[in-house]
Amino acid sequence: MDQTLRELYQDIILDHSRHPRHFGALPGASHVAEGHNPLCGDKVKIYLLVDANRRITDVSFEGKGCAISVASASLMTELLKGRTVEEAEGLMGGFLHLVRGESAQTLEEDDRERLEVMAGVSAFPMRVKCATLAWHAMKAALEGERTARTE
Amino acid sequence: MRPFEGGGEMIREVTRANVTYADAPMRFEAGTPPIVEAVGLAAALDYLDAVGRERIDAHELALARNATRRLKEVNGIRIIGEAADKGPIISFEAIGIHAHDLATILDREGVAVRGGHHCAQPLMERFSVSGTARASFALYNTAAEVDALIAAVGEARRVFG
Repeated sequence: MDQTLRELYQDIILDHSRHPRHFGALPGASHVAEGHNPLCGDKVKIYLLVDANRRITDVSFEGKGCAISVASASLMTELLKGRTVEEAEGLMGGFLHLVRGESAQTLEEDDRERLEVMAGVSAFPMRVKCATLAWHAMKAALEGERTARTE
Repeated sequence: MRPFEGGGEMIREVTRANVTYADAPMRFEAGTPPIVEAVGLAAALDYLDAVGRERIDAHELALARNATRRLKEVNGIRIIGEAADKGPIISFEAIGIHAHDLATILDREGVAVRGGHHCAQPLMERFSVSGTARASFALYNTAAEVDALIAAVGEARRVFG
């Protein structure tokens, strides 16, 4: 297997796809949105519990899709918990840079290191939308939209 | 029916006050017809006849049968569609690997397949699968390319376990 493939399907990504974190519905969620990629059939539903200080106190997701989209959603839930809405948007901005192969200087070093495992997708333009689906759904949820599409 | 576009060869007569159009089909074929394409199609048909349709059929089916038999020997591969007289095309699922992940790995290994629901979502539902990979064989494919397909599917199996 060549190097670019190895970077795409790193062990940590395969692990997240096989054992997704925070998987399932979140009863009492304050914000919910579904991301749908009609061309590939991937679907992901993001649940957020945002408190009065605009802090994400809990998060979960459910859905099905390829290894990249499930791993990306799982990784996102790990990073979002405890962040403010503004911080979540900042993370998304940095993540979008990473998966497009651009520099993500706006991210804190810790966050960048954790999200960088997804950067291998930048070598596969067809798969970038798999990685971004959950993030678009998260943003839609925070903005009160019910659905997000990557097509 | 009125012409849907204007151009050469679709006119009968034009005056300052009036216009009449050529009869169908000319009135719908404005401009230069696809002459090069027609010549190319004829050359392609001559080529197929020179090789022989039956030989092409036999070659493609032999590749597809060989590939089907060997795919079944790889762990966790499910062939979808095994009609006795089917054409030289194989839809398959690698259990536990999404079709797009499989297609990406095969692509990097130099094997082009179509991956996904093939614009046939109800059929995917019928077979309880989110998508399949689909390999097809033509007269220019070789036995070595079947080897490459089998090796690449084995590689995907190693990555995903």
